[in-house]
Amino acid sequence: MKHFNTYIKPYLRQYYRSISLAVFFGLLTVLASSMLTFTSGYLISSASLMPYNILMLYVPIVLVRTFGISQAVTRYIERLIGHNAVLKILSDMRVWLYRMLEPQALFIRERFQTGDLLGTLADDIEHLQDLYIRTIFPTIVALCLFAGSIISLSLFDWKFALWIGFCLSLIVVVYPVWSLFILKKRQLKQKEVQSRLYSNLTDAVFGLTDWIISGREKDFINGFHREREEIFEVDRRLRYWNQSRELQLRILSGLILIMMAIWSGFEAQAGGIAPTYIAAFTLVTLPIIEGLLPISHAIERIPAYQESLRRVGNIERGDRHEAKPIEVGKSNAANLVADHLTYRYAGSQEDALHQMSLSIPQGHKFALLGKSGAGKSTFLQLLLGALVPTSGKVELNGQPCHCYGDAIFEQISVLNQKPYLFATTVENNIRLGNQTATREEIERVVKQVKLDQYINSLPLGLATQMEETGARFSGGERQRIALARILLKNTPVVILDEPTVGLDPQTEADLIETIFEALKDKTVIWITHHLMGMEKMDKIVFMEKGKVAIEGSHEELLETSERYQRLYELDHG
Amino acid sequence: MDKQLLRYEGSKKTMFIIGLLTVFQSVFIILHAVFLSTALTKLFKGAAVNAVLPLLLGFGGFFFLRHLLQWAKERMAYRFAETTALSYQTLLLEKLFRLGPRGVGRHGSGSVITLCLEGITNLRTYLELFIPRAVSMICTPIILLVYVFTVDALSGVVLLVTMPIMIAFLILLGLLAQKKIDAQMDSYRLLSSHFVDSLRGLVTLKFLGKSKSHEHAIRAVSERYRMATNRTLRLAFLSTFALDFFSSLSVAVVAVELGLRLIDGKIGLESALMLLILAPEYFLPIRSFGNDYHATMDGKDAGDKIRKILSQEDRKLINTQPLPRWNEASCLAVRGLSKASTEDESFIVKNSDFEVKGFQKIGIVGKSGAGKSTFIDLLAGLRDKSSGTILFDGIEVESFTVDEWQRQLSYIPQHPYIFSGTIAENIRWYAQHSSKEDLLLAVERAGLSELVKSLPNGLDEKIGQGGRSLSGGEEQRIALARTILQERPIMLFDEPTAHLDIETEYEIKELLLPLLERKLVFFATHRLHWMKEMDLIFVLQEGQLVECGSHEELLAKKGHYFELISAAKGGRGV
Repeated sequence: MKHFNTYIKPYLRQYYRSISLAVFFGLLTVLASSMLTFTSGYLISSASLMPYNILMLYVPIVLVRTFGISQAVTRYIERLIGHNAVLKILSDMRVWLYRMLEPQALFIRERFQTGDLLGTLADDIEHLQDLYIRTIFPTIVALCLFAGSIISLSLFDWKFALWIGFCLSLIVVVYPVWSLFILKKRQLKQKEVQSRLYSNLTDAVFGLTDWIISGREKDFINGFHREREEIFEVDRRLRYWNQSRELQLRILSGLILIMMAIWSGFEAQAGGIAPTYIAAFTLVTLPIIEGLLPISHAIERIPAYQESLRRVGNIERGDRHEAKPIEVGKSNAANLVADHLTYRYAGSQEDALHQMSLSIPQGHKFALLGKSGAGKSTFLQLLLGALVPTSGKVELNGQPCHCYGDAIFEQISVLNQKPYLFATTVENNIRLGNQTATREEIERVVKQVKLDQYINSLPLGLATQMEETGARFSGGERQRIALARILLKNTPVVILDEPTVGLDPQTEADLIETIFEALKDKTVIWITHHLMGMEKMDKIVFMEKGKVAIEGSHEELLETSERYQRLYELDHG
Repeated sequence: MDKQLLRYEGSKKTMFIIGLLTVFQSVFIILHAVFLSTALTKLFKGAAVNAVLPLLLGFGGFFFLRHLLQWAKERMAYRFAETTALSYQTLLLEKLFRLGPRGVGRHGSGSVITLCLEGITNLRTYLELFIPRAVSMICTPIILLVYVFTVDALSGVVLLVTMPIMIAFLILLGLLAQKKIDAQMDSYRLLSSHFVDSLRGLVTLKFLGKSKSHEHAIRAVSERYRMATNRTLRLAFLSTFALDFFSSLSVAVVAVELGLRLIDGKIGLESALMLLILAPEYFLPIRSFGNDYHATMDGKDAGDKIRKILSQEDRKLINTQPLPRWNEASCLAVRGLSKASTEDESFIVKNSDFEVKGFQKIGIVGKSGAGKSTFIDLLAGLRDKSSGTILFDGIEVESFTVDEWQRQLSYIPQHPYIFSGTIAENIRWYAQHSSKEDLLLAVERAGLSELVKSLPNGLDEKIGQGGRSLSGGEEQRIALARTILQERPIMLFDEPTAHLDIETEYEIKELLLPLLERKLVFFATHRLHWMKEMDLIFVLQEGQLVECGSHEELLAKKGHYFELISAAKGGRGV
């Protein structure tokens, strides 16, 4: 219910016009199909009295035809209006979710380590379509239909209407609530077994090598069979319950029809209604009940949406530091200074970064090495202003980094391990660096990253789609495209965050050569995992447990540090 | 119609029984209409309610039977669907193990997992819904129509004529919509994936300083997506429209026709009412078939995908051949080892001969794409060779996929898989019943003691999916601890340190070297510093074993190995 108030109600309120229109046409649809039956029943009964003048039947004939045609039309309109309204809501929700995630961009991977969370969230938003189309709309329509039928009937006989109201409420209230209850209980179990099954299967597929070499395939298959037996059992019970519920509801509707027949028989004898209405009243029962039945189905889906909403809701929590971006003109020089820079994560016993002091003047080439957990990423986050130092300071051109907000990216670009290339053309991807770039500028950066020949050889050239079949780009080429983007952006500082991991040695060497050629005037902060290219660096820093372990230029270190010599020898083969 | 439907085991029998039930069901539908119309006619003519009660009860009885049969049909269909889905899942799983990691990787590991769980569920839904719907769509209208004709030919004609018109429109509109959808598929796909693309690229957008302004792009594209979807839906909903329109129009026509002829006294009220009740029933099966059709198609696709994987060629599994345990006197001779590419005519490994003895350490080097990984995969039996003979101590072995060979080796890849479980479970993975002492010793020798001490739960800390995440170096250490515990005489390595930072690589090397003693080792890498520790070096080029010898021998030879070494040094002097 909490989720409902936060994520559903505001949208219902905002789009109540389209939504009420959709519901209105939904009602017309059920009404038309009920009235088709009602008027046909009346028409046939009256006709059998063989009136002298066919004009006496003119009205029912027209009505039968109208309802016969209008039902299809109103249903068509209802579906279009409904979908349109829901798509508007989804559009809003996408923007909302994006707005929620954007400030946490640099922390998402740390906060949510589970697989493809972002893909799942996008799916969750899509799933919410069903909440409106299959749950909210049908429920409102059914409730209106229920109220309308009972009120109409009460005009003839309020006691009987009360009784039928009671019977129908079994369909409209009791069964749906019962279904929801049963489903909720089962769903917990289902979810638990399913996630276990999923994680087992992931272990099997990704750990396939180990299963095969250890000869434990049989173990796995047997274990999996036991687990899935449980899930099939739960599924089966749910399905059987669904089927039995359907049968029970049908029996109930048969009984209600018989009651209607008996009531109209009595009523006709007592003169309450004309005998021509007996068939009409009796037969209309089924299409009306037909309009009420979907409600059980609609309600029992609720737990599925709750799961999606819960995930979306989790995103919202989480502290974010966000500075108002300050106005910084594009400068061509950047001086970075860190002074006793220290950071400690909340709840941690040790400093992730301890008393780090260094200065990187414009144009310097600076390499940062260290084992994982040595504090390299923390340093980066501080540099980008995503974290605020616990003590000490880190400044860019005399201004603390965390005060820049997003304006820091006017000064610093980042080429990371997996730069994301969007599903659009190569040109658009490069243009992200600078929307106002001319064609010549783009061609210049493409040449700088040495992709000009390859791209010109493609039939569509720069207009090639990133993911088009047959024109997939290799790891090295993707890095080059990302580099071109950064060159176009033209910031004084470029951070290279292990951009060559996963490339083979030849590609790596070529890429490094291109990178340093293209960035020769810029400050480069290069986080790397081995010593290739260290000769070109002005300063090399090895970090260990948040502190600087050794530092110096390649030549200095080779002379003074035994540790560096050892590593250099190792790397040199 | 899906021809495959007839080929599932037991599907013919299921369809036959469901068909039979449907025939009875149709008869009950007619009977309940007859009883109801008679009762209503009597009431209309002023009969006492008590006198009509038996008729109403008769109606109730047949109404009940009709839905009872529906229930039975659905339950049967579900049972069949469940059995089929279960057996498909088992087949698929067994196939995965026979295909091996590369074979599975080609289909995308993630999508295989989805196929194996959601795909199977979809297949079940498809079979469960499609079979009874399709059978009803064929049987029920025919039986009802025959009966209607015996009562009133004109109504029969109306119903008969409507059906082909309706189906023709359905197909025409379906084709039209499909054509239109196909035409804008590309832009449609781009629009629909734009949001998830934006989320995945959020970090990059942030780095580019574009993340704030991108919000407008999301709004704009969402709106365009909505427009495009609306255009498509306008067409897609037309098929439902046709179903609704023709069926309700036809019912209306029947009703009006009946009314007109009742005035002339050409037909009785009883028959007229009965026809009025039967007319919607005539259209019901095709409408419910149409409504569920699209929902079930995912399942049909899943079935096709599974069959495609099942038809793939896989590794031969031979479990019978006994082999001695590898020792210092053992000898392995391989002649003409080849592996053909599955994509084209080329060879990934071709015609390689070699011989190794006792506890030799063999380094495998070559440029990327030279076939190092495939070579290791063949030795590990993860892929089947295309040709070549293998002699183990002079005994011919059919393939490296032989159980008794695989049980003797351990394999450490670049990224060893960490199973979701505790550290202890992960280390014990190959040797599940090893003692606590052995386990602690393995932890010690793999250099994991410090890590284990730093964790709140020590050896019982959860790692892998949903547990604590480990660094690349820690993962390698876990893999090492596994091999220490299992004590197998042959060790295979595929680029175990390429992704590690240099300090971690150094540490791992220190730990690893003593573990290679008294083992037959195959070590594929492009980190050439390892080669100094090897007894024998295989140099691969374009899948062929072009050089073989010790580090010193090959350096002196100034051939391919020398070239590799100088290239690596040259590459460094950027």
